[in-house]
Amino acid sequence: MTRWVGLLAAAAAALLLGVVVGPADLPLDAVWDGLLGRGDQATQAIVRDLRMPRALLAFFVGGSLAVTGAALQALVRNPLADPYLLGLSGGAGLGAVAAIVFQVGGVWAVPLAALGGALLAIALVYRLALVAGAVLDTRVLLLSGVVVGAFAASLMGAIIAISPAPEVRNALLWLLGGFDAASWRAFGVFTAYAAVPLLVIYRQNRPLDLLALGEEPASFLGADVERLKRVLYVAASLLTAAAVSVSGIIGFVGLVIPHAVRLLWGHLHRSLLPAAFLLGGVLLLVADAIARTAFAPLSLPVGVVTALIGVPVFVLLVRRWAK
Amino acid sequence: MSLRNLTALAVMAAVSLACEDRERHADGPVIDDTGHPVSLVRSPTRIVSLAPGHTELLFAVGAGDRVVGRTRWCDHPPAVATIPSVGDGLNPNVESILARDPDLVVFYASASNEAAIARLEQLGIPTISLLTDDLDDLMRAADLLGTITGQKATSDSLIDWLSREIASLRASRPGGSLPTALMVAWDNPPIVIGNASFLSQIAELAGAHNAFADVDRPSLTVSMETIVERDADLILIASDSGIPAWAERPEWRVVPAVRDRRFVVVHGTEFSRPSFRAPAAIRRVRAALQEWHRR
Amino acid sequence: MGEVIFETKNVEYRYPGGPEVPAVAAVSLSIESGELVGIVGPNGSGKTTLLRLLLGTLRPDRGEALAFGRWATEWKRRELARRIGVVSQREEAAFPLRVRQAVLFGRYPHLGPLGAPSSVDWAAVDHALRRCDVAHLSDRWVATLSGGEWQRVRIARALAQEPRALALDEATASLDIRHEMEVFELTAELVREHRMAGVLVTHHVNLAARFVDRLVVMHRGAARASGPPAAVLSDAVLEEVFEWPVAMTQWEGVPQFVPLRRAVEGASGAVEGEQQRE
Repeated sequence: MTRWVGLLAAAAAALLLGVVVGPADLPLDAVWDGLLGRGDQATQAIVRDLRMPRALLAFFVGGSLAVTGAALQALVRNPLADPYLLGLSGGAGLGAVAAIVFQVGGVWAVPLAALGGALLAIALVYRLALVAGAVLDTRVLLLSGVVVGAFAASLMGAIIAISPAPEVRNALLWLLGGFDAASWRAFGVFTAYAAVPLLVIYRQNRPLDLLALGEEPASFLGADVERLKRVLYVAASLLTAAAVSVSGIIGFVGLVIPHAVRLLWGHLHRSLLPAAFLLGGVLLLVADAIARTAFAPLSLPVGVVTALIGVPVFVLLVRRWAK
Repeated sequence: MSLRNLTALAVMAAVSLACEDRERHADGPVIDDTGHPVSLVRSPTRIVSLAPGHTELLFAVGAGDRVVGRTRWCDHPPAVATIPSVGDGLNPNVESILARDPDLVVFYASASNEAAIARLEQLGIPTISLLTDDLDDLMRAADLLGTITGQKATSDSLIDWLSREIASLRASRPGGSLPTALMVAWDNPPIVIGNASFLSQIAELAGAHNAFADVDRPSLTVSMETIVERDADLILIASDSGIPAWAERPEWRVVPAVRDRRFVVVHGTEFSRPSFRAPAAIRRVRAALQEWHRR
Repeated sequence: MGEVIFETKNVEYRYPGGPEVPAVAAVSLSIESGELVGIVGPNGSGKTTLLRLLLGTLRPDRGEALAFGRWATEWKRRELARRIGVVSQREEAAFPLRVRQAVLFGRYPHLGPLGAPSSVDWAAVDHALRRCDVAHLSDRWVATLSGGEWQRVRIARALAQEPRALALDEATASLDIRHEMEVFELTAELVREHRMAGVLVTHHVNLAARFVDRLVVMHRGAARASGPPAAVLSDAVLEEVFEWPVAMTQWEGVPQFVPLRRAVEGASGAVEGEQQRE
């Protein structure tokens, strides 16, 4: 019980951090005024229209990535699985780079192109992994993901090679991840879109436990394994594609958070998934706060910060395991 | 012979050798912007230019008729259209360059060109790397190119003219406090123009203060709230497509200047690189600023 | 004896991409509640395939495979898991698991996605643990158990499902004699106590013969013989099916077979045979 209280407290603290901390050096009372709609216009705008939606969006994206990572690790029975192993980060990157470099017009061009690229990659990987008709082989899934991802990355390389330098650099910076496009509208769209896959995944929390025993035992214990694999794969992919289209490719959250949560909450997904959501949200919020303020006014890509945090955490986890 | 006489003789010999050098070569020993000396036997007659700014400069100093190759991005003056393109200027295709049979290749000074430069040097083709990021770079480059191509008289007079124009513009800046201008290079992630950039120089000379003048970089990635905090008076846009699409996005509309549509738009290629068209460009911005003031 | 739980009618199955000869051909059998049936035969005879057809894992190409009166493949997995407990030869958990939790997995077919296990569920778990004599292992990590202990835990898990049928698929193949006997005894007892239908697929013909009510001897996809062990096990049948000479004997009224050794060369060069069959 105390674990949950602690986690919820951490979540509240992180959200507070996201609102209080930032490169615009705002004193606490100014932030408070801003929240309540009083005081300086600029401060209000920063606090209510930039920091709040950004903090919430970062939290939800982090949570979604963590849940996706946990579900995929169960699906492919591999603790090193992460949301980007399924090739869709390559597809998203390709879509985004293509949109940027070919200067596709429209405000939503890049996110939509990233989403489109991710969905294409998902479909391709899924099709490749369907062996003998209707059976989804998870080993082939992993390999197909790697192959499709590599293919997309090489296409991206080709586009980059023939494009003018400034656009390329900007495309790559976008890919490294960031929440600068956060707004209330972006938050609303993402949450509405992510809620369904999140709930779908949570509903499968018991079959996810069973999957750890192997596909056949899981089936004999009541899991409709083929349907489960399909549902999980589609939900996880859609969730990740949404995250990528909103904030680029942010690694380590999906990989590391499920492991960290298992250390305290165990392996049963009924508690693992919600805890992962909260902890993933906390991690990404903190990472975003660091990315924004560490070198103010310069802003780092969030993906860099999560890697810097994630790698040592990962090393710690692996060492714990080896014992 | 006494030591003093020996020394005098040595000095005279050195001086006469140096004079001989100068007679033998069309130019003196030239050091380019990467610190490398440029080895030239005679004044170049087949020049390949690998940056739009360099191409424009070569034409400006009167060596345009000697340009036999240019990048696909070179667009000024209109005469360049008849010159064959060799493709990209950065990390260029060496074969395309060689196909133009050049006796001088003018690069933009960048690490990504090192491989191509080495290759050409190996084949005995002289190269020169120049920076043209701001007006000081421009004047230095003009001097170098003018010297190399034997057009020193033209380049000298151009440089003089430009210095005077800049001085005059600086002196005639409107008094009082200048409006602050935000210049955006990219929207997501937000990249703004810093102090060490040509566009920033234009703005300053035209009479607007760069909102990010405190950062001595050509550009920097910042978060939206930093942009809002700086609360620039206007947004200066140098683009052929007018007010950009990102101005409609919700997070950008939090920026007061975007919300209130305080845009000053200018277009033309003279804003994307330093050239001798700069004074005219600066005057256009100044006029646009004054027009904006009136509104 | 009781209600028909498993039934096949002329069922046939061919593996896709496999040989022309079907894995299971025209097999008809029925298993009622309260009876324990053993399916034996050499490798490739179709016994595992037959079990899979009974459990609805495979869909017959011809004929019918019914469970509880419906086509086995039509049952939702969850519904079937509330009725049939399956124990297979080997299983490994991908993450560390305590015994009590492992047995709780048997209650999953009865749990909703959100509800926590109730006292009823835990009672079923504890009962199963006691009945299978693994209660003392409740807090042990599954990975620390011996093969026999882990097998009994999985039987406990199957029991916790509160099924009306038990299926064991070569569940004792890697166990030593003691643990194998324990598994057979336990299975036979559970089938009788709860009046379940029991089916076990095994290599160990002699042992199966001593525990089951009926034996089905598979040979090249067909049921060569079916009935009480005393009626089914004869040298003729066994030699045909296992393609090896055997001698028959008896234990407690149940026929047992002894596979014969090849003729061996003696010191004098003369061929010495085994003691001739009686």
